[in-house]
Amino acid sequence: MSKVVEISPTTRHEGHTKLTMQVDDNGVVTRGDWLSLTPVRGIEKLAVGKTMHQAPKISSRVCGICPIAHTLAGIEAMEASIGCFIPDDAYLLRVMLQCSNRLHSHALHNILSLPDMYIPGTDTHINPFTPEQPVRTAALRIQKLREVGQTIGEIVGGEPIHPSNPRVGGMYKNISPRAQIKIYDLVKEAIPLAAAHKDFMISVFKDWDERPMASVAGGKEVEKTQKFGFHDQGYMAVDPLYGSSSLDLDQKWFPERWTEVRPWDWYQGELEVSLEDPDYPIGGTTKVGTKVWPQMEACTGVPLYDGAPVEVGPRARLAMFRNYDRKGAMGLQIARSMEFMDTLYSISEAVEALDTNGKVIADEIPQGDGSLGWAANEAPRGTDGHLTKVKDGRVEWYSLLVPTTWNFPTVSRALEGAPWQLTEVIMRAYDPCVSCATHMMVVDESKKVVAQKLFQ
Amino acid sequence: MVLGNYKDCVCARAADPGILSASQDGGIVTQLFACALEHGIIDGAVVAGQGDEPYKPVPIVATTVAELLEARGTRYNVCPNVSMIKEATRSYGLDKVGIVGTPCQIQSVRKLQLYPMGMRSVGSKIALAIGIFCMENFSYQGLEAMVEDLCNVKMESACKMDIGKGKFTVFTERGAVSQIPLKLTHKFEQPGCHVCLDYVANLADISTGSVGTPDGWSTVFTRTKAGESIWGKAIEAGYFETKPISDVKPGLDLVTKLATDKITKNQKTLDERVSFGVGKGLRNPYL
Repeated sequence: MSKVVEISPTTRHEGHTKLTMQVDDNGVVTRGDWLSLTPVRGIEKLAVGKTMHQAPKISSRVCGICPIAHTLAGIEAMEASIGCFIPDDAYLLRVMLQCSNRLHSHALHNILSLPDMYIPGTDTHINPFTPEQPVRTAALRIQKLREVGQTIGEIVGGEPIHPSNPRVGGMYKNISPRAQIKIYDLVKEAIPLAAAHKDFMISVFKDWDERPMASVAGGKEVEKTQKFGFHDQGYMAVDPLYGSSSLDLDQKWFPERWTEVRPWDWYQGELEVSLEDPDYPIGGTTKVGTKVWPQMEACTGVPLYDGAPVEVGPRARLAMFRNYDRKGAMGLQIARSMEFMDTLYSISEAVEALDTNGKVIADEIPQGDGSLGWAANEAPRGTDGHLTKVKDGRVEWYSLLVPTTWNFPTVSRALEGAPWQLTEVIMRAYDPCVSCATHMMVVDESKKVVAQKLFQ
Repeated sequence: MVLGNYKDCVCARAADPGILSASQDGGIVTQLFACALEHGIIDGAVVAGQGDEPYKPVPIVATTVAELLEARGTRYNVCPNVSMIKEATRSYGLDKVGIVGTPCQIQSVRKLQLYPMGMRSVGSKIALAIGIFCMENFSYQGLEAMVEDLCNVKMESACKMDIGKGKFTVFTERGAVSQIPLKLTHKFEQPGCHVCLDYVANLADISTGSVGTPDGWSTVFTRTKAGESIWGKAIEAGYFETKPISDVKPGLDLVTKLATDKITKNQKTLDERVSFGVGKGLRNPYL
């Protein structure tokens, strides 16, 4: 007899979400929904009618964790629509910016996921804030890696949060030779730290994977199931590092393969919570008897690629470009840790190749004729696609397809077969960043039914 | 308290004749930044560099002594130095920034340190703020009119300008000197300067200016711990010649007099503004 349990709100990630699950007698999830409760930002509507220079800056404001990815994706979508090619040095600066964002974001996520993990060889959950070893060293490494990432973002982007330097047509400013050397030194400082940190994180995640019993931080120990957090969905990634746009000769993303489904058609209907655990951290799960209605409550559309949900993020990048094949929640965590070195080596290569006297802005910036341009940027959490139409320098239409939107339905699939007490571990493995993922402004006229249905 | 809080006040000039050769007075700012650069106290400074047109300054980030030397001397019009301070910590990659500015600019530097709106991690990177005495400032067009129309000197041929002893003086490359009474320049002053109640850059680490000391020397106030320590290091390393301020003429009395004059005069403007307009006074920026 299946019961309904709900964890609301979920914790230790960006944004507001909940997990509504049907579980069997053993507490194993048979149907799970992970849904966003974050109110709609409306960025896409705000951008319409603004100049092409303004719109990416507005879209970057959707969230403070990967504003760099949104800025770059937005700007490159504009460039793709107007057909503007940027100078090589501007591209190198953007690559550095991209990597610095990924470096700090991955390190930040470690802090969020470590409390569920154990110190390898013991049964003690990791408290990232404890002064005891080996945790203190790891925490300090995380701090330092974030500092390096943010500082490089600050130098190259003008700001680490909402970078001001990137613009349609390239970058506003090149960096000084002194700043170039500073970046190089910072990277050199971070490489051994990142190598040690990667090893530490991978050993922690592998240790978790091999345990027969586990709990979330402060929760009850339950038996883990085989294939914890596995799903059978495909992967979507456009580049191991940076991104792709409709200006590329060899395009890696195809807008015509993307469709969007209403949450009404995707999520579970009206349910009543019938299982409750008052001891679940923090503050217990939703009370028995509460009415829940995921298909009405979800604030995101469900994007499909080739008609199915796909996973985006570190594992998708490694799986598509590096033959990575570890599945499950920890497979994703390990993939994320493996990306640390990539970011630093790429910054180091880019900064060496950069000519600080080179021009960073295109000679001519066309004003656009209203044709569709898209750019997909590999944000820390996955493929961040921005689509736009620019005419006479103004945005006519703008749409954001951000990483966690893609991951919502995939995570819902991955929950199946896991004990419900551990589902937050699966969800957290995807490093959810929900605020930008919330987009109900469906573009196609016929699909506006969503809004109507909600207002009824 | 028209001179603000200060720990020490001396009469000083740079010991390096190379700096003095083209400096405005005692070469204090240039020499002090050069000393701070060489001691690693700062790794760059925002100074008024040469713009496209003669005597039109633009803020630049100087990271070498050579760049500092290029920027020597006063250009009597507006140079938005504070606008470069963020860029200095960004694309220039500096961690310890020096900045020179008029009292109002030093006020904004302190304000951005207190309320870092849009100035993330900038405030902590300001290592040395040098203020210069300022009675008022001119717009570039105003200066051009003063030099070309009143002094009859082409801007291109001026090699130095100076304000002192009630006169505005322009020196040309061919040795001619053209002087007008300061009274004639008043109409070119920026109206915004008339609400300023700070003559000697009260909030700077070190403030300096020619008033109070003989020609070729400058009056130097050290105001903060940072300023005191940098000044101490510079003196110890022999970057400056100094005399006690009590030994020189006209001394602190003149500085006090001019500061009082400025504050009294501008207080009047402020008071007038309170009742300016119909039923709505203009805000006093110092309240």
